Amino acid sequence: MSDPALFRLRFRFCKQGRLAMLSHLEVAHALERAVRRAGLPFAVSCGFSPHMRIAFGAALPVGVGGTQEIFDLLLKEYVAPQKALEALRATSAPDMMPYEAYYVEHNATAASVCYPVSDYVAVLTKPIDNLQVPESISVIRKKKEKVIAVGEYLLDGPHVEGNIIKFTLVAKNSGSLRPDLLLSECLKLSGSDARISNITRVDQREQ
Amino acid sequence: MTDLWPRVEPLLAQVERPARYLNHEWGSGVKEDADFSFCMIYPDTYELGQANQAVRILMNAVNATENLRAERGFLPAVDMCDLMRAEKLPLFSLESCAPVSEFDVVGITLPHELCATNVLEVLDLAGIPVLSADRAEEDPIVLGGGPCAYNPEPFALFFDAITIGEGETATPETLQLIRSLRKQGASRREILVALAKLPGTYVPSLYRWRSEEEAQAAGCWIEPLEEGLPTLIEKRVFEGFAESWGWEPCVVPYTEVVHDRLNVEVLRGCARGCRFCQAGMMYRPVRERSADNIVESVIKGLDETGYDEVSLTSLSTTDHSQIADILTRINSYCDGKGVRISIPSQRLDSFGIELAELVAGQKKGGLTFAPEAGTQRLRDVINKGVTEENLFSAVDAAFSSGWRRCKLYFMIGLPTETDDDIKGIARITQQVLERARKIVPPEQRGSIQVGISCAVFVPKAQTPFQWDGQIAPEEAMRRVNLLRHSIKFRAINVGWHDPKTSFVEAVMSRGGREVSQWVYTAWTKGARFDAWTELFNQQAWIDAADELGIDSAAIAQASYETEYVMPWSHISCGVSTKWLAHERKKATAEKTTPDCTFGPCSGCGACQSVGIENQLSEPRTKNELLGLSEGEIAVEQEVNHE
Repeated sequence: MSDPALFRLRFRFCKQGRLAMLSHLEVAHALERAVRRAGLPFAVSCGFSPHMRIAFGAALPVGVGGTQEIFDLLLKEYVAPQKALEALRATSAPDMMPYEAYYVEHNATAASVCYPVSDYVAVLTKPIDNLQVPESISVIRKKKEKVIAVGEYLLDGPHVEGNIIKFTLVAKNSGSLRPDLLLSECLKLSGSDARISNITRVDQREQ
Repeated sequence: MTDLWPRVEPLLAQVERPARYLNHEWGSGVKEDADFSFCMIYPDTYELGQANQAVRILMNAVNATENLRAERGFLPAVDMCDLMRAEKLPLFSLESCAPVSEFDVVGITLPHELCATNVLEVLDLAGIPVLSADRAEEDPIVLGGGPCAYNPEPFALFFDAITIGEGETATPETLQLIRSLRKQGASRREILVALAKLPGTYVPSLYRWRSEEEAQAAGCWIEPLEEGLPTLIEKRVFEGFAESWGWEPCVVPYTEVVHDRLNVEVLRGCARGCRFCQAGMMYRPVRERSADNIVESVIKGLDETGYDEVSLTSLSTTDHSQIADILTRINSYCDGKGVRISIPSQRLDSFGIELAELVAGQKKGGLTFAPEAGTQRLRDVINKGVTEENLFSAVDAAFSSGWRRCKLYFMIGLPTETDDDIKGIARITQQVLERARKIVPPEQRGSIQVGISCAVFVPKAQTPFQWDGQIAPEEAMRRVNLLRHSIKFRAINVGWHDPKTSFVEAVMSRGGREVSQWVYTAWTKGARFDAWTELFNQQAWIDAADELGIDSAAIAQASYETEYVMPWSHISCGVSTKWLAHERKKATAEKTTPDCTFGPCSGCGACQSVGIENQLSEPRTKNELLGLSEGEIAVEQEVNHE
C-alpha cells in the first residue's frame, strides 16, 4: 500500500441492517464497485491482473454488523476528503454508507491490522441473568481441530444488561476469536434458550 | 402485498450464503405506481439466475410499461428450500419479499432442459398448484418462455401459457392483456383463450394431444379444443433490437454470481448454421447493434454499475461487422481503469490471437477452442466449417503469445459418428500438445496444459438433427473410454459430461406431452436441481418412467426419417421444417452450407417467416485487422475466469 506518489484516503463506513449478512469478500466487492461508480481517481496495480489499489479493514463475520468499519483507497491525485466522501455516498447503499474520509500517511499500518481491538454489542432475543464464558472453544478450521483459549482474546466483558451484551476482543498475529462464535458458546454453556438477534462491532482501536 | 421479511430474516443465520435472499442490491427497486404485478422467476439459485439476460430484459421491459411492475424471484438453495418448508414459509419475491402466490402473473424462464423439476419446486414452494389444471380463479397466471419453450410439451402440464420467442414486446403485451381481462372480470378460462389467440403464445390446455398414429396422419400433434385457435404458433421477434439501446439498468449483486460483470448484447442471432445448434436456429435473423450504440452502452454501463469487467455477449461476437472498431474504442476508454473486456464466444485464427490480446490485456489464463468433432468429415457433417489448419494455426499463435493452457471442446455421439471420429479427437489433441511443446521454451513446458472436454450430443428441437436419436449412456461411456485409451500422453486431461444427465436432457428435448407427466412424477419422487451433479437423482427418473410405463430410452434414442412429424411441429422458430430436412440430407452427404451473413441466402425461411431480414451495421467481409472470416475456429475465451 505504501507509495509516496499516491494519496491514501481512509473511509469510515457502516455495515448494518440486511447488509450485515454479507461476507467480508462481498463487502469488499461492493465497496470497489461503489468507488468505481463514484468516479474517484483510484490507482490501479500494474501486475498480471490490474486491479484497484484498495485495502480493507479487519474482517467481520457473516451476520455481524459494524459502525466503525474502514477501508483505504489509493488515489492518483488529491481530492478533498469531503468531496470524495460526497461522491462515494452518492453511489453507496444506505446500509453500507461511508460517513467519514481523511488522508493517512502512505506508510501507515495496514487497514486490516491497524485496529486490533474491537468492541462488540450484541442483542439477544430475551434477557439473560447469568452468562457463563467457556475457558476454551474448539473450532474446525481446514478440517483440523483448533482449541482457542478464550482468555487470550477476550479483553473485557461480557457485560450483561438485560438482553444486551457488551464485550471486547483483541485480534493477534496468531489468530482471532469470532464474536458470534464466542457468544453462541457462552449461551450454550449457560443453558439459555435465548438466541442472538444481532451483533455489531461498535468500535475499533489500537491496543 | 404481505411482507415476509420478518419471517425470512431469522432464518438467514442458518443457511449458506444469505446474500442470496437480501435484495437491496445496487440497482434493485420497486416500481410504485403500478396496479398489476409480475414475478419474474429463474428456476435455480440466485447466483445462477441473477445475471441471466432474460431476467434483466423482461424486468426492464415490464417495469417500463404503464401499470405493470416486475419483481425478481429465484429458487432458494436446497438448505433454504427445506428450511422454508419446515417453517411453512412460502417462496417470496426479492424486492418486496412478498409471497409469489400474491402476484397477478408469475413468469418462469426455461433456460435448459434440466430445470424442469425446479419449475415444480418453485410452484410448490410458492403454494401455487403445480398442475395448471388444478389452479383456481384467484391463482396467478403462470407463464413460461425461453429456449426450452421451442419444445413446450414437456412443460405443458405446468404452465397456463408459454411465450415462444423473444419477450421484449411479447411479455408486456401478454401482461397488459391479462390485466385488461382481469379488470373486466374475465374468468381464468376466458383469459387462457384470449392468450391462445395472442401471437406467439401457446396455451397447452386448450389443445388435445393426439396419439402418434393420429399425429403422423394429421401432420400435427395438437388438436384445438375450441374453434379459432391457431395450430401453428410462430415465434415472436423483437423487431427493434438493432436500434434499441445496448445499456439497460441492471442489478449489481453483492454475492458472487456466474457472469458477474456488465453484459452488453452486441448482436442477436447467428447464421453459421451448425446443425446441432438450437440457438443458431431459434434466434434468426441476425441483428447487429451499431458500434456507436455498443461503445456508448459499455461506457454508460461501467459508470452506472461499477463493474470491472464487461462482456460483449452474443452467439458469435467476433462476427459483428464493426468488431474491430468496437474493441479499439472500448479499449481506449478502459485504458488504465483496470477493466477487463471479454468475449464469451469468439472465432479466431492466427490473427485472432491479436484480438484475444486486445480483449484480455496481459492476463493469459486458458483458452477453450471448440472444434466439436475430431475429423474433417464429421465437422462437415455438423457444418462446423473449420479445418485442422484453423485449429493448429490458432493453437500455434496462442502458445506463441504466452498462453499455456488450452481446452478443446468436443461432442460425442454426433450423427454418423464412428470410432474413427473418436480416435480423431485423440489424434488432433495430441497434435495440439506436440505443437505446444515445440513452441513453448523448454523451461516453461511444465506449465503446458491441454485438456479435452466432451459433452454427449443432445438432439435439439428445431435443428437439422432433431430427427436423430441420442446414443445410449452405456455407448457414450464406451466412446469416452475409447477416447481415453486412444490418448498416449498423460498430460492430456479428459473430462466429460455425465451421460445420465444428458439422457434426461435428450428426453426433455425430444419428448411430447407424456414427458410432462414423467417430469411431474420424477419430482414427486424427489428429483430437483437436476443440473447440479451432486443432487441429480437418477433413480427418481427411472422409477417415474417405470410407474408411468414410459419408454424414456425410445424417446431419447429413436431416429426418424425427416418426414416424421416431431412433437414440436406446431411451434415455429421461423426456420422451415423443409429446410431443416434439407440440411439433414446435406449432413449425410457431408456437404456444408455457408453463413448467409457473409454470402447468399441459404433459404432457411426465417426472414420471410418473421418479416425482417438480417440487419448488419455494415456488410460482413473478411476483417483485415482481426483476420476474421468465415470458417474459422470457434473459441471460447476463459481468460477472465482463471
